[in-house]
Amino acid sequence: MKRVFEHPTPKEDAPNAHRQYWRSVGELEDTPEFREWLHKEFPAGAAEIEADGVSRRNFLQLMGASLALAGFGVAGCRRPEAYIVPYTKGVEWVIPGKALLYATSMPRRFGGMPLVVTTFEGRPTKIEGNPLHPASNGGTDLFAQASILELYDPDRSKQFFENQKPASKEGFIEYLTKVRADLKANNKRLAILTDPDQSPTRQRLREELEKTFPDLLFVTNDPLQAPDYSATIGKLFGADKKPHYRLDRAERVLAIDSDFLSGEELGMEAPQGFSNGRRLKTANDPMNRLYVVENKFSVTGGLADHRLRCQSGKLGAFTAQLAVEVAKQTGDSDLQAAADAMPESWKKVEFDPEWIQVCVKDLVESGNQSLVITSAHQSAPMQALVFAINKAIGGLGNTIELLPAVEKNADTLEDLVQAMEAEEVGAVMMIGGNPMYASADRKKFAAALAKVPEVVRLGLYFDESSMVAKWQVPAAHYLESWSDVVATDGTYGVVQPMILPLYGGLSEFDLYQLLLGQELEEAPTVIQDTFRKRSNPSDFAMGWNALLRDGFVPDSAPEAAVISLDTGAVTELVGNAKPIVEGMELVLVGDASVGDGRYANISWLQEMPDPITKQTWGNSALMSLHTASTLGVEKDGQLVMIQKGDETIALPAFRSPGHADDSVTVALGYGRQVIGRIGKGHGVDAYDLLTLDDNFVVPDVQVTATPGFDQIAQTQEHQSMEGRALVREAPIDYYKNHQGVNHLGKGFAALMWIDSHVPPNIDIYQGPPLDAPHQWGMSIDLTTCTGCNACVIACQAENNIPVVGKEQVIKGREMHWIRNDRYFSTVEEQHDDPEMLIMPMLCQQCENAPCETVCPVNATVHNEEGLNVMAYNRCIGTRYCANNCPYKVRRFNFFDYNKRDVFDEVKIGPVETNNLYLGPLGKKQEVETIEMQRNPNVTVRMRGVIEKCTFCVQRLETAKINRKVEVMHPGPVDPAELLVPPGGVKTACQQVCPTQSINFGNIADPRWEVSELINLDRGYKSLDYLNTRPRITYLAKIRNPNPHMPGADHVGMSSLGQKH
Amino acid sequence: MANFFPRWTNFLPIKVVICGGFVAAAIVAGITYYFTPEFTKVGYEPTQPVPFSHEIHVTQLGMDCRYCHTQVEVSNHSNVPVTQTCMSCHTQVQANSPKLQPVRDSWESGLPVKWVRVHKAPDYVYFNHAIHVNRGVSCVECHGQVNDMPVVYHAESQSMAWCLQCHRNPEESLRPLDEVYNLNWKPADGLKQASLGEELKEEWHVNPPVTCAGCHR
Repeated sequence: MKRVFEHPTPKEDAPNAHRQYWRSVGELEDTPEFREWLHKEFPAGAAEIEADGVSRRNFLQLMGASLALAGFGVAGCRRPEAYIVPYTKGVEWVIPGKALLYATSMPRRFGGMPLVVTTFEGRPTKIEGNPLHPASNGGTDLFAQASILELYDPDRSKQFFENQKPASKEGFIEYLTKVRADLKANNKRLAILTDPDQSPTRQRLREELEKTFPDLLFVTNDPLQAPDYSATIGKLFGADKKPHYRLDRAERVLAIDSDFLSGEELGMEAPQGFSNGRRLKTANDPMNRLYVVENKFSVTGGLADHRLRCQSGKLGAFTAQLAVEVAKQTGDSDLQAAADAMPESWKKVEFDPEWIQVCVKDLVESGNQSLVITSAHQSAPMQALVFAINKAIGGLGNTIELLPAVEKNADTLEDLVQAMEAEEVGAVMMIGGNPMYASADRKKFAAALAKVPEVVRLGLYFDESSMVAKWQVPAAHYLESWSDVVATDGTYGVVQPMILPLYGGLSEFDLYQLLLGQELEEAPTVIQDTFRKRSNPSDFAMGWNALLRDGFVPDSAPEAAVISLDTGAVTELVGNAKPIVEGMELVLVGDASVGDGRYANISWLQEMPDPITKQTWGNSALMSLHTASTLGVEKDGQLVMIQKGDETIALPAFRSPGHADDSVTVALGYGRQVIGRIGKGHGVDAYDLLTLDDNFVVPDVQVTATPGFDQIAQTQEHQSMEGRALVREAPIDYYKNHQGVNHLGKGFAALMWIDSHVPPNIDIYQGPPLDAPHQWGMSIDLTTCTGCNACVIACQAENNIPVVGKEQVIKGREMHWIRNDRYFSTVEEQHDDPEMLIMPMLCQQCENAPCETVCPVNATVHNEEGLNVMAYNRCIGTRYCANNCPYKVRRFNFFDYNKRDVFDEVKIGPVETNNLYLGPLGKKQEVETIEMQRNPNVTVRMRGVIEKCTFCVQRLETAKINRKVEVMHPGPVDPAELLVPPGGVKTACQQVCPTQSINFGNIADPRWEVSELINLDRGYKSLDYLNTRPRITYLAKIRNPNPHMPGADHVGMSSLGQKH
Repeated sequence: MANFFPRWTNFLPIKVVICGGFVAAAIVAGITYYFTPEFTKVGYEPTQPVPFSHEIHVTQLGMDCRYCHTQVEVSNHSNVPVTQTCMSCHTQVQANSPKLQPVRDSWESGLPVKWVRVHKAPDYVYFNHAIHVNRGVSCVECHGQVNDMPVVYHAESQSMAWCLQCHRNPEESLRPLDEVYNLNWKPADGLKQASLGEELKEEWHVNPPVTCAGCHR
């Protein structure tokens, strides 16, 4: 039957010519809308609907029409119709399919972290560091990596709310006008409560606000910083200064409760500078030395050459006794006077005098290349002592510089609370942060805030602070807004948006402009004004474009200020120090995953294992094994109650080797109730125990073990290498005495343990041909690896790795392609005072891969470039390859984690189960914004396939293609031209590493640095005796113990004490 | 109970096996013929919202492929032209033709033209145009004689076997770089594609990937 879709108009003299056939009222009236509908819906023609009923012919035609509607079209029976939809006008610079990179910075508490963001067709997908920036080596920390998901978080605040009812931006602007008028009329103060931010534009706008609102309270509150930190620095060095630590100049570092290698403390400069002092190519290269004193393990403590456990409450006493020793050895009388002012109780604390003496001798011998560093959350007496010690030793001025602070003395939270209690404040703008959740003396703040009539919250989420605010204003993420920042070294940089605010949010400066009564603009005139005043380039347009292109102004770092330390102030501060309170202390710290709680809704971060405890999705009470046994805690996860005064919290205990005795550490940032569905309810909220007085160390708490139990979701439960030399380390003297390689190319590290006497491997199996011009290989330097987990999050961002949720993590199904195995090593059974060893573990891309031979469908094969490649579409999910992998790096998608809702719980009759177990009947979670983040060059894997590290093969292919496209010309081509040039491609983990521990490239090309590194004499391959022939070479961890220190002969001996 | 089964059942098993074998063979043959890209894709000629004719634009008017498919030399994706490209001529040429109404509507309203996609690799395949056109593979090798098509149809099967056939023998498809966009090019008299291709392959060190990671990421 031939289908006719468009019947011709009947001829005039046809018998039924005068009978009008019309399909709809529209056609009868022949409206333009009907015409449009007709041509749009049925491009191939239109179906007929007879006015007088539906005949069989019409019915089939109708079906044909609805198929067309469903996208099947005339030819649609054969293939589902897909569309290819271009722009109407090309967008400047955008090439569909190619990435576009923009430089920006992430505003952080310590300054701007320089970034380069990869965008595809206008949406950002991946964040990298800015290698051109002097304060960055191209790496970032994990919070910067995860901030891309924060941008796309579907639980972000999307709507203006007035009194918790939906409202509009216009309404808000009107409201602000009213507030401004009211404040003037009633002579009340305006208060702005925000995060610390080193932004010159913010300072400029603050000055303008102070002109309009003379009594302005501009408060910056960082819940993880000591509240009097800025004031202390002001007392010691003069107003408006900021210390700048030069780890690159430090040969000997003593870190007292300072986690400077984490990236969250001091940005990228500190880990970069420090690791450069440890990058050994030969045993005779200079190596710096790190002493760490802390109460719990941090990544810095893990890298330490000598570590002392000390209760946080006694760190002040330690520093004072250290100061006494320093004063003795240097003869610095000011320091002696300051140390003598210490409280009596400090003098009585006993520390190993030899430890202090030898450490000080080492520091003093290095003179101005020594650095004693503590963290910004430490108390004022500590800060004073530490700077005075540095002055006495000579580092002050060399390893510590002073830069002008961008944030001129802001008011403190205490000032604000006082003003609010006195009812002086008419309006409070809470911008960023989350003071109703994350602040010290939270209840006092809440009570004071209740007295303020007008409260506005500008926040990324509708959170605890939004609940008490009259207006909730959605904030624009830093990837959506214009701003400027100053980096840790003082370089001026720009923050430029990658995308228009997804939810129509306002940025901080938008709010300031509205408060000043100015119009909102989309253009960055506010930033440009600051730039003009600051840099005043002769050609503004060129200068501005250069700023946008590079992300920073070169050579804009100010000269280091002359340092003069007020020694009188030091003595005064030490004299006012609090005495020691004996008993169990509770130490409250920021969390490595969620910071102070602001990142609680980012699933990547919640699932990121804590670098030390390997715990995900929650916090726990860390304590030493000795303390645990004293309290009666028998296993990890046993619930303990911690009580101080009226406040009690209950959370699972965690026995943490290396933790100080009589001390319990609890991470802040968990237990949030008013947040999106990912962050809600995980862990326990410890902020009620945080007071301004106690400064993160709550003395004399009651800790009781209860019979309750709560499973801790750990990704790694065992802590020992079980007698196998997986991480290999040695002290530097051993390395010096065992240099070079033997005739098989093996150095001392490759000959440890079983590898020392196992016969050489013989191949009876001919491997795949490895004849391509590119041969990819990697080296991982364990000496500089801190285990910070930035690589884990970078890999997750680059490769569309899903999140599985707490329950699945407990079952061991986390999907991270790279993990950091953390081991503790003790010699002579001192379980409480071990060393920590980190080993990044990812697919070793074995030349002789055990996984390739067992795949029944040949889904994993070896390519000519040495990569073990995975074809997801061929995999049937046998999991034989994962079983056979000795490194256990193959991850299986047990459920459709990408498509199905991982967090939903369903109840079927009496059974409550997770949505994942419903399989195809489960709820989908196709959230558009999360899909926007996904890397378009990597497959999003479904249920039932194995996945693993691919050495970022998408980047490798792109690099090879780009190179060939670039150099191709007619006529003979030199094959060397076609090679990717050295440094031309970096894997995600390599690019992000703050200490540049991972090096990757073409090992067949000697120009690449990795070719040299894999042949170093301290290199070894993991599980070499299995003859897997991995392409990853680990460079053994070298420690630099001070031979005179007590316990020095045990440092770095974990692999050498091994007995096979 | 002597002859419980009639005699003809003696041969039943072998008959079932032979018949079953034939049925299975028929099914396999059917699937191989009807359910592979050589059948399902080849000849697919959907109707486009705008009756754009490559024959008119390329053969009659002599436009280069890259006038519209601008990013084919740099990107993995060969873009279809933006409405602005069409309007660059069609504000003057055929400015009132009803066939171009959707294009004019798109230009006025800012909504793009929804072209029906003819060539689509599965989403686990990552094909890159730039590397092919820059290494001497012409449009015609994969897309057929587009310059002669009044309506674009799927000319080649573009199955994985078909891709591998060229990847294993690139000399069959290579041509000089300046002839890549000349879809009517044939090797000069006296020269064979295979020998010319072999020469180019040697000169340019063409070594297309035949392992999985080349296309599957």
